[in-house]
Amino acid sequence: MRGMRFSMRFLYGLILVIGLAALALAQGVTPAAMLKPSADVWLTYHGDYTGKRHSTLSQITPANVTQLKEIWRFQAGQQQIKGTPILVDGVIYITSPDNLWAIDARTAQELWHYTHPRNNAFHIGHRGVAVYKDSVYLTTPDAHLIAFNAKDGKMKWDVIIADARKGYWSTNAPLVVGNHVMVGVSGDFDNLPGQLKSIDADTGKTQWIFYSTPPPGVSEPQSGGATGGQMWMTGTYDPELNLVYVGTGNPTPVLNGPVRPGDNPWTCSIVALNPDTGKLVWGFQVSPHDTHDWDAAEVPVLVDGDFNGTPRKMVMQASRNGYFFVLDRTNGKNLLTKPFAAVNWAKEIDKDGRPIPDPAKEPSRDGVLVAPDESGGTNYRSPSFDPATGLFIVSAHDSYGVYFFKPDHGAYGWAGADYGVGGRSFLRAIDYKTGSIVWSHSIGDGAGSAGVLTTATGLTFTGDLPGNLMALRTSDGTTLWHAPIGRVGNSPITYQLDGKQFLVVGAGSSLVAFALP
Amino acid sequence: MTRIIGIASTALLAVSCLVAAQGRGGQAPSPASQRPPQTATPQTYTAEEIQAGRVRFASECGFCHGRDAAGGETGPDLTRSDLVAADLRGDRISGVVRNGVPQKGMPSFDLSAADLGAIVAFIHDQKANADTLGGGRRSVDVADLQTGNAEEGQKYFSGAGKCSSCHSADGDLAGIGNRFQGLALLQRMLNPRSGRPAPAPAKVLVTLPSGEKIVGPLVSRDEFSITMTDTSGARRSWQVGEAEFTVDDPLSAHYDQLGKYTDANMRNVFAYLQTLR
Repeated sequence: MRGMRFSMRFLYGLILVIGLAALALAQGVTPAAMLKPSADVWLTYHGDYTGKRHSTLSQITPANVTQLKEIWRFQAGQQQIKGTPILVDGVIYITSPDNLWAIDARTAQELWHYTHPRNNAFHIGHRGVAVYKDSVYLTTPDAHLIAFNAKDGKMKWDVIIADARKGYWSTNAPLVVGNHVMVGVSGDFDNLPGQLKSIDADTGKTQWIFYSTPPPGVSEPQSGGATGGQMWMTGTYDPELNLVYVGTGNPTPVLNGPVRPGDNPWTCSIVALNPDTGKLVWGFQVSPHDTHDWDAAEVPVLVDGDFNGTPRKMVMQASRNGYFFVLDRTNGKNLLTKPFAAVNWAKEIDKDGRPIPDPAKEPSRDGVLVAPDESGGTNYRSPSFDPATGLFIVSAHDSYGVYFFKPDHGAYGWAGADYGVGGRSFLRAIDYKTGSIVWSHSIGDGAGSAGVLTTATGLTFTGDLPGNLMALRTSDGTTLWHAPIGRVGNSPITYQLDGKQFLVVGAGSSLVAFALP
Repeated sequence: MTRIIGIASTALLAVSCLVAAQGRGGQAPSPASQRPPQTATPQTYTAEEIQAGRVRFASECGFCHGRDAAGGETGPDLTRSDLVAADLRGDRISGVVRNGVPQKGMPSFDLSAADLGAIVAFIHDQKANADTLGGGRRSVDVADLQTGNAEEGQKYFSGAGKCSSCHSADGDLAGIGNRFQGLALLQRMLNPRSGRPAPAPAKVLVTLPSGEKIVGPLVSRDEFSITMTDTSGARRSWQVGEAEFTVDDPLSAHYDQLGKYTDANMRNVFAYLQTLR
């Protein structure tokens, strides 16, 4: 009888489990799943809300990484893949401008493909989709946000997030928190206010708009007349503080500083927003009064750990201006500011930890030689934080450009001229507690394009400029393995399906999967 | 409407120079009005082609080259490009667009013949417009760059800058001020690899296990392998460990110098190089 009772209980349990699983399937990606993603998914641009791009998967190790073999390759049109693939329910969603493919994560078999109608917005790249419940969300170059049924690609709704005729476009991979689909745009060829919109995941209705610079018709003297500050990269989220962290882009006009005096908040900043209201809780300007196109759009990475003997909730950014920042993410107070790439543009770090631009390095008629160049000390390629070593690993660029501005260049859009005159790239590991560079691994001449992924087995994956995918030992940067697959233009991801760990990365315009044999 | 590009623009440029000269009280046009390279072969495009090209160009090329083709993020001003000046109906531009220029970060584009033709038409039209107006939106004129002191530049050249350890005013740099002016000279001075025409590649010396030595220009290298051109003109590659190699790249000193120049050093050396005529 006891045995019988046990099996009855077991049976009830089984029914409950099956029921829950069915419910989960019907609901698709739930907010709970996004808070604790399982090993067999990659649900958001960064893999999770922290932006660490670190995986706890442990099948691929320093000892066996040399046995990695290409499993499949998917040709995604002609344009370089710059986006992060999203994986849910055994299906990968990968994009290029105007295109979204759903492919089988085991075989790369195409399941469906959406092609957006031909349009005239910039087609410079696309960062990927977002998922929620049974929907997939795609931004388009002409600044639409479209929701699809994840299963068959049937369009649910299509809303316009910004006016492409004014010069807005979008490459953005939205950030989903609860039923908020937060979506940003680009647009620094025109003097346009920076806007981040929250769209209702179910209905497509606008919930709120956060403006990083004053919206049309609103006068805010402290902005100095600047426009810009676009939030074109995917932010991160702390559920305990209920704060979303987003990096904002450069002010416009871009190189003409005199026409927009002052710090130009909140351009080139890390801003903390309440995802339910879109209200600014705090902001930290990493480049006050930028005149060099150095967006602070890079990933704000959330790390909990010790700083100077005190446990802290931190946000870290290796910014395009060449400086690495550690902030207390509860209040935006600065803990550390240190350069991680060649810089010569700041005259001091002020008491709040902000590098203050040297007026002598503002673009001038006769040209100023500035480090870094316009593409920056780093860019949208993702960094990774490895919790075991405390290393923040970033693709850095020691570069120089000559920047010009004269009144003839005007006060609209670019409003100046600049020319890169040389750069070299390195993968650099930063000790977040001191900002010192623990190791620096040369990856070639020019600006890097590959992001970084670290794993719990002490591996760091990235690509070099000549076109090799590489695995390095996280602790010291030693190369353990490489595969000449072509230029990696996105940031790698990893997941485990059917007991097998996959590494998936873009190589030129194809997406390539590796696993152990 | 059909625009004749080349003849028309040259005629208009002559007029604008005349106007400029009169504006300055009859002085001859100074070298400061550095003229962009002239369109080699006159060519005509319809207004429809140019308009279609304006839209396609803005979408496909505008981010890097500016929507007006006068330069944007990372991409050069096409209205002052030697390649565009030499192009006839896309015979040079098409290859660059279709194949890209990977070493300079330009991707390849898979465009229809009609789109490519329209883009070519638009670029030529913008060039004609820029020639007429004298200077693009992102122009840097020779006159803008005259704030340096040639004497100080010469001191830096042979002193702290150590330029004279590789260069000499009456040797390799003789007449450099005639060969390059303005921005082109500045870019070449700061880093010859960022200027045009491209300088000679670095030299590689490969020593095979047999003891055989092969010398030739470097094609590419990474952490794992090296590729060079041997004396027969064939490309050869070796993996690290298969051979010993040393790369001689004297131009890398230019990169190292970028971190050492003050802006005054840069302007002074530039002023000095201008005097080497």
